[in-house]
Amino acid sequence: MIPWSSFVQKAQSLIDPANFNIPTLSSSDGTPSKASLFRQQFRLPDSQNPLQEITAELVLPLPNSNPGSGDSARRVDRTGNRYTGRLHLSERFICFSTQPTSFLPSATLSASTNFTGQTHGTGPSGNGFTLPLSCIRRVERLHSASHVFSLALTTWNGLLNKQQEPNFTPQRLILQLVGSRQACERFCDTLKKGLREGMKEVDNLRLVVGDCYSEYLLSGAKGKAQEGGEGDGRQPPDAGLGMLFRYPGDARKLRDRSKMRLWGEYFRENGRNATLVRQPTFHKLIRVGLPNRLRGEVWELSSGSLFLRIRSPNLYQETLVKFQGQESLAIDEIEKDLNRSLPEYPGFQSEEGIGRLRRVLTAYSWTNAEIGYCQAMNIVVAALLIYMSEAQAFFLLSVLCDRLLPGYYSTTMYGTLLDQKVFESLVEKTMPVLWEHLIKTDVQLSVVSLPWFLSLYINSMPLVFAFRVLDVFFLEGPKVLFQVGLAILRINGEELLDVQDDGSFVSVLKTYFSRLDESAHPRSENPKLRAITRFQELMVVAFKEFSGITHSTIEEQREKHKGAVLENIENFAKRTSIRNLGPESKRLSVDDLGTIYDRFYDTLYQWQQQQKLQDEERRRQEKKKSERLSVLGPPADTEMGRVGLGPSPTHMDYGAFREFLAATSKWAVSDSPSGSRSDSSSGFGSFRGNSSKSLLWANRRQPADHEFMQRLYRKWATDSEEGLSLQNVVNGLARLKGSPDIMNNINYFFDLYDDSGNGQVDREGILKISEAFLFLSRRGFEGTITATQSLEDLNSPRDRDHAEQNTLTVDERFLGSVSAFIRRCFEYADPSHPENQKASQQDATTEVTDKLDSFAIGDDEEDLIDVDDSKSNKPASDAPSKPSQSGDSEQNRPRSESANPALDPNNPLHITLPTFRMVILADELLEQFFESYFPQSFHLSDHPHPASLAASSSLSSNLTTFSNIGSARPSNLATAGSVSVGASGGIVPPGKGLRGVLDNIVTDGIRMAAEVKKRMDEAQRDLERNALGRDDDDDEDDDEDELRRDSNAAAAMAGGISSWGAGAYGAEMERRSVRDADRDLLEGAEVLSVRERGESSSLLDNKNEVDAKGQHGAKGSPSSTHDAEVVSKVVEFES
Amino acid sequence: MSEPAGANAPKPSSSVKLVLLGEAAVGKSSLVLRFVNDDFQENKEPTIGAAFLTQKCSLPTRTIKFEIWDTAGQERFASLAPMYYRNAQAALVVYDVTKPSSLTKAKHWVAELQRQASPGIVIALVGNKLDLTNDGGDASASAATESESEPVRDAGEEGAAEESEQQDTNSGDARKVSTREASSYADEEGLLFFETSAKTGTNVVDVFTAIANAIPESSLKTGRGGAGTGQTALGGRSAEDSRVNLGDRSAATAKEGCAC
Repeated sequence: MIPWSSFVQKAQSLIDPANFNIPTLSSSDGTPSKASLFRQQFRLPDSQNPLQEITAELVLPLPNSNPGSGDSARRVDRTGNRYTGRLHLSERFICFSTQPTSFLPSATLSASTNFTGQTHGTGPSGNGFTLPLSCIRRVERLHSASHVFSLALTTWNGLLNKQQEPNFTPQRLILQLVGSRQACERFCDTLKKGLREGMKEVDNLRLVVGDCYSEYLLSGAKGKAQEGGEGDGRQPPDAGLGMLFRYPGDARKLRDRSKMRLWGEYFRENGRNATLVRQPTFHKLIRVGLPNRLRGEVWELSSGSLFLRIRSPNLYQETLVKFQGQESLAIDEIEKDLNRSLPEYPGFQSEEGIGRLRRVLTAYSWTNAEIGYCQAMNIVVAALLIYMSEAQAFFLLSVLCDRLLPGYYSTTMYGTLLDQKVFESLVEKTMPVLWEHLIKTDVQLSVVSLPWFLSLYINSMPLVFAFRVLDVFFLEGPKVLFQVGLAILRINGEELLDVQDDGSFVSVLKTYFSRLDESAHPRSENPKLRAITRFQELMVVAFKEFSGITHSTIEEQREKHKGAVLENIENFAKRTSIRNLGPESKRLSVDDLGTIYDRFYDTLYQWQQQQKLQDEERRRQEKKKSERLSVLGPPADTEMGRVGLGPSPTHMDYGAFREFLAATSKWAVSDSPSGSRSDSSSGFGSFRGNSSKSLLWANRRQPADHEFMQRLYRKWATDSEEGLSLQNVVNGLARLKGSPDIMNNINYFFDLYDDSGNGQVDREGILKISEAFLFLSRRGFEGTITATQSLEDLNSPRDRDHAEQNTLTVDERFLGSVSAFIRRCFEYADPSHPENQKASQQDATTEVTDKLDSFAIGDDEEDLIDVDDSKSNKPASDAPSKPSQSGDSEQNRPRSESANPALDPNNPLHITLPTFRMVILADELLEQFFESYFPQSFHLSDHPHPASLAASSSLSSNLTTFSNIGSARPSNLATAGSVSVGASGGIVPPGKGLRGVLDNIVTDGIRMAAEVKKRMDEAQRDLERNALGRDDDDDEDDDEDELRRDSNAAAAMAGGISSWGAGAYGAEMERRSVRDADRDLLEGAEVLSVRERGESSSLLDNKNEVDAKGQHGAKGSPSSTHDAEVVSKVVEFES
Repeated sequence: MSEPAGANAPKPSSSVKLVLLGEAAVGKSSLVLRFVNDDFQENKEPTIGAAFLTQKCSLPTRTIKFEIWDTAGQERFASLAPMYYRNAQAALVVYDVTKPSSLTKAKHWVAELQRQASPGIVIALVGNKLDLTNDGGDASASAATESESEPVRDAGEEGAAEESEQQDTNSGDARKVSTREASSYADEEGLLFFETSAKTGTNVVDVFTAIANAIPESSLKTGRGGAGTGQTALGGRSAEDSRVNLGDRSAATAKEGCAC
């Protein structure tokens, strides 16, 4: 194994050998924390931290030395076994190991450490002890002449029993501390404190130890019971189902009795269960296989699950009681598998065995809901239950899932997949020829090896042998699984090289496993050699030949492959969930969906990290020094929330949604980067593989918080308590972006503000809508909206000043449009008052018939159609209005008459969807806003759904829109706009004067729009009426005083806004543009679109020419007149 | 019926890799057990990762040796599936006729296979647990069986239509997924379609026979030969295709192989 030495060295410099958790990235530089290394090495619960450490010498009595009187200790001092190592102290444990730790003493406690990587193995593989402080009965300072600081620990070993054992000597350990006097004193001080705390746990200890078979064995009760004496009524403690249903295998062949004797001897000399001291014999005894009745106990001890049980001895029972009668998915899944877990073992054909299995699996699924239940756990737990009590199995399962097999049983099983990858890379390195062959024949190794790891060889090998593997596994850790797996392949190498496909690969190994009990050298002359079974051979190969496979090897490989494995899982999850998003999602392109998916989970992930940091911060502030709530569960520093790692949150709350929007739309980014939430912007590492993503987050913008976003959130959520699921977000975006149908978008927007759900938006709503317009547009339109006259300049932006002026014009004009919107809304609003009810929608039709004739504009429309004399005018005029319930304009215009109380707060009023639609369509910019800007302001991938693009162009030619009157170009421009403007479309650079000013104006505008409500008092209205009275006369077709008064007020308000927002625009101009030119335009457009459809594309060219002409003519002039000009020219041309 | 290839004339033999997919406890393993051993067990150990079995299926002109990968059904094992369906020439996507959610899951699998598995994979949609319905295992089912020998797809549809009408008139039936619904879906997607009962054996062999028949001759010739011909055209190509899959590791390890 020459390559291994360098390999290992390299590993040591990088990777933590003692850390079992894959997700260790919580510390900034990727190395695990000292505390976690410490816990791993001594198999301590997660609550433990290294407090003190010192070099020390452990002096133990010689084996088989005569237990003698009290002063024997001093005698063996000179003759006993001496081990030099390091002594560690945590809150509740004192640990000693000859195995060096993998962290430097100087390392700080909390953060990552200077990492030495000295430990090859992991777990308590060295000689020494891990003693709960509660086990220590007395500590004496020994006065020795040699100036050595010596402590003598007397433990509770054997003293917690009711009765004294024969020939009992209290366990006494001598520790000689090596260090400065100060260091020794410090150590002793901490020890004293710990001991005081530890005393509280002695009762727990007594309880737990009472269940240990070793106590029963040493107490002599066993002997008495066998002698058939009256006994002392003491039943042997539960050592698993094996006691009732026999243990697997032939006890004699396994030499169970002699193993038992050896262990009895070892326990007597070195302490039992919690007070056991590890000497070389301990490791040897485990290698040869544990005796049946002690197997569970030693597993518990070497895996460290015993310490969890001492910490909360009743947790198992409590959990069962607490969740009694409750149901869960995990329980359903467990129930399905209960009858099929080691069914060949008699214990699991009985209610007793199945009941135990059910209880342990269920209890665990409650304590670790993230894992719940995974198939294969049933097999593992069934195996454990043959040798352990339910409670023991429960705690051991917890250690298995959290530490020994991290991620194996998680909902994504990333640990399983990762270790398969690691295994394969180890095969490649250690057996390159075999690996080549597997590649060549396309045999998938993990197809075979995955069950080995997932169920710890339990259903691959005959049970007796699988348990032998487990014996070593619990002591030495996961590397054992790899060593055994490699050895299996090595031993069968010859045969495997002949294999050509998966099928024969499987069958070679199947045959091998079935013959593990046969002699490895059946033809050997040497009877000793002949006696060696294939299994023994396997163990030798695994632990001798592959001794170079250490925990650090595994960790290094895991670290190396982790990214790829997680990415694969995430891609799989992404692929699957995108595919399963349902029909609605098909309106978006796969790229778009992918973008949404990534952004959704990225946001959730970051959001969760942020919450976690804040939680930690808060906890730190509260100075709650954390003992973890539960003794079980994965280590606290686990990386959370990444999809590949298992259950991650699936729903966004509003806060996360804002982040999501901010990453999607410019308008959702806050204006003030140093907002109230700036505290949360620190401390994001780039955990995710995709650096661009995390970069985006690191430099991310603070999300804005606007009422519009709340509305969007509520609208998208099926259950706003629960939050938004991916499905919600996709559906929401599909609605907006999927079909660029302007009507759809207008309807959707209206729905957002239709609070009562009755198809009406009240005064408040109208103002909120206008606020939303301003909010959404305050960062510019990314080129998606173009005022008609600026077309040419946008196409050829040679003159920068000029271009700037034009963008300014668009934004500015939009403000005007919004103010016009408010005004028109009020103008055309329906009164909600009962007496005005006749004007409501239901009556609208009759009203239309009554009043239609009296309206000039209505007449105009008819005229226009007549003039045009198009045969297809009927469908043409239907086409645009079809989705909007034909004849909006006719219906609504008459109502404008009765919309008199529009601005009176005492007269509630509302607009309906048709009104809203009309008002939007009546304005070029608002129309473009809905047609292109609004849907396009949600940035997804660069590859939108092809259908949506196609639809957009076809739609705009079908629809009566301003853009296609002007030319076909604006809409093309609009779609291309987001790309071309992209770079400059971000936040306004501070230096840019005009834009900056405009931004301020817009922001002011938003604020002011909110104040509009307050300004609607009588005095103001009168004032404004006087000022603008004359203008109104020009526009209004009726003379009713009342009406005029109110529309004046509307104008006043609108004028107010436009003067705050865009001073250049007078209300007068605005209003005329709507009343006359725009209305005509609308009508003209209908005609145009008829023609356009009827004739060929050459017409488009002509139209462009006309358009260009119009622009030249109108350059610099107020757009309203310009619009009129264009239209009239177009119409001329057409006719 | 499929029997081990008789000792009579040595017919050409070829292997077909077949994978079973479907929600947990719909009876994937039981279908295989019925097909391979003509047996049924109430308590089968859950499949960990996947189980591997083989069975020969004798057609008039040739013998097909099925290499069956029976996968674990629990949801979380789904991410392992690409490892098993890679290079598969056929797939059985199983659902439970008494459990509508299992059909949804089956549809997901079909979509996954159509996009990610070898091109040209033959997919059969199988509704299992027919014995729990009123039309389970009796005349109507076997009638469908008979008609399915040659024009498999058409027969499936017709039989399905009849059956579903029949079951509409029945009540007190555990069936929750109508034959019509599933078969029209299968039709749309171009899948073979059967309803089976692993418990009674209804239609089980027929599924495999139909698949054997549906595997194009061309892909068999180039497929992984029964006599250890090793990697040939199709296998090689489809292996290439699946290199991007989750299950594939060689691409990645090849890159990283020289790191030390």
